[in-house]
Parts: sequence; structure tokens; C-alpha cells
Amino acid sequence: MGIHGIVEGKKQWRAHMARVKALPPDYQVVYKEMQKYFFKVGPVGLADGTLLTGVLDFFEAGAADGTRVLALVGHDIAAFCDDLVKDSPTYAEIHQESLRTEGGASGQD
Amino acid sequence: MEGALAVDDLTEMLKGTLEGCVLEIIGGEETYGYAITRRLNELGFADVVEGTVYTILLRLERNGLVQVTKRPSGMGPPRKFYALNNAGREEVARFWTKWEYLSSRIDKLKEGGR
Amino acid sequence: MRFWETVTGSDLTRDWTAFEVRAAALPDDHRAAWEQIKAHLFPYGNFTGRNLMPILDAALGLLEQTAAEGQGVQEVLGDDIAGFCAALAGGEGARTYRDRWREQLNRNVARKLARLGG
Repeated sequence: MGIHGIVEGKKQWRAHMARVKALPPDYQVVYKEMQKYFFKVGPVGLADGTLLTGVLDFFEAGAADGTRVLALVGHDIAAFCDDLVKDSPTYAEIHQESLRTEGGASGQD
Repeated sequence: MEGALAVDDLTEMLKGTLEGCVLEIIGGEETYGYAITRRLNELGFADVVEGTVYTILLRLERNGLVQVTKRPSGMGPPRKFYALNNAGREEVARFWTKWEYLSSRIDKLKEGGR
Repeated sequence: MRFWETVTGSDLTRDWTAFEVRAAALPDDHRAAWEQIKAHLFPYGNFTGRNLMPILDAALGLLEQTAAEGQGVQEVLGDDIAGFCAALAGGEGARTYRDRWREQLNRNVARKLARLGG
């Protein structure tokens, strides 16, 4: 399960990171910082792999066009990230919701 | 480009309408993210970057409004091309109805009417 | 780990074992941070260990990546691990932390791109 399960298993994860390493340096910087941000925020798209592989596909295309990364995504990387996950809940939100409902159901609140 | 007056900070105002603009552009012909961005830039929305269009395209795809086809490209990896499906065409029509309503109300406000 | 077996059932122990294998490969500092993160997240897991798993998975991913990049634990988690963990789980201060992470992201990108000489 989860992020490394995503991309189901270690081997795919390594292949994923190898693609990252093949990006131009400016793209690598932005990708890696974005990934760390997503690990903290925990949007659900992390688990099925669509979020990170989607970003990677997009970056590979941009790099192939010879576009600089900041020209591709703008200077506000955080805004770009938040936009990407705007309509998907986070694990934290799901967790909080379950605390509310399960806690309530067992009459513990 | 129209409007020499300060139109360099449209980002906030554009936010709600950009998705409709992208749908309209896709409705014209099957196209891809880079071309959509260029088209918007040429229209005068200079601040729109490909990343913004990418997030919109993702959303359109997730909401089932577009048909996506991967095609090989001259440079680099295959590109995703987007065309409207029926739901997408209905969405564009809804967008223009809403836009006409909104702009007519705002015009009226400006003219001092009620 | 017994806690998980009793609270959430044995189907999760497989995931749990996989976590521990990954954690064992971390450098000392990062592995110590992992222990602390677990300790801080447990109180949040009373009813819902299952929902905590993806959060732990992401936290472990974060530690793995920072270790691979040679980034220190403190730089990532800050001084207040309890606060950081509460934020990971969406608890108190989550919003403040998200703003902080957002700023951190943009600042790190700007700094690292400048270092590239872009």
C-alpha cells in the first residue's frame, strides 16, 4: 500500500526516482521539493501513484520542449502544488473524519 | 493586445473562468497543454503558465469532460491530446450561459442601472 | 508490533513490517526521528490505526528522501516534533504548519535554483 506501494513496490519506486534523476537539474530541484511537500500534506493521489507520476510526465514533456522549470510552473511552486490537489482530500482529513465518526459511534466523545 | 491599462494582474480574476476558456479552446479542435497555453498567452493572458493549464486539464479529465489520447511527439515523450466529449460540450455551453449572465449583470452595474 | 495487531487487526501487520524494513535502512538520525514520529502519532491512532497508515507511510517517505539528499532531520522536522506530527495527522496547528511547509517549499526551491546558477 501507500506511496511505495504506489508505484507498487520498491522496484517501481526506484524506476520512478531514476526518471527524476534523468531530468535537467532545475527540474530535479523543483520535483524533489514538491515531493517532500506532498509527503507532509498527504493528498490521497499519493497512494494510487497518479499524482507523482503525472507530475513527472508533465515535467519530462516540459524539459523536452526546452522550457525552464519556472517558466513551466511559475514562481509560486506551492500554489502549483495546492492547485494540483485542490479537489482531493488529504489523509489527515480522512483520519480526522474517522476520529469524529468512530469516536462518536462508540460514544466516547 | 488590448487594454494598455494595467492588466498585468489578472490572475485572481481569471481563476474562476480559466477552466471555461480551456474548454472552449479544446472545443475548437483536439489540442495539447502547450498549445492551449500559447493560445491563452496570445489572447493577452500573459501570466498563464503551462502548469496552470496542466492542473485544469487534470481536473477536466478527472471530471470526465474530455477525451484524452496519447500521441507520439517529435520531441521527447508522447503528449496527451484533449478533445471534448458530450459532457464537455454541455459544460462549455453552461460556462457561456453563466458568463453571459455574469458579464451582463456587471455591465449593468457599471452603467448605473439595476 | 503488538499495538497494531490488537488495535487494527493482523492484516495491517504486513504493512507494518514493511515499514520497519524500510526504517532499518535509514541512517541513525533519521531512524531515531522515525521512532519519535511513531511515538507521537500513536495517541492519534486509538480508533483508527488504519487511517494512520498512509500518514506514517508518507512520513517515512519524507525521511527516506531527506536521508537520500543528505538533508538533516532537524531541517525537515523542525524543533517541535510533537507539533509536526500533530500537523501530519491533521490535528491542532495543521493549518499553520501547512503555511509553513508552503513557505519552506518556495524558499528551498529559490535557494537551490540560485545555487544552480540559474
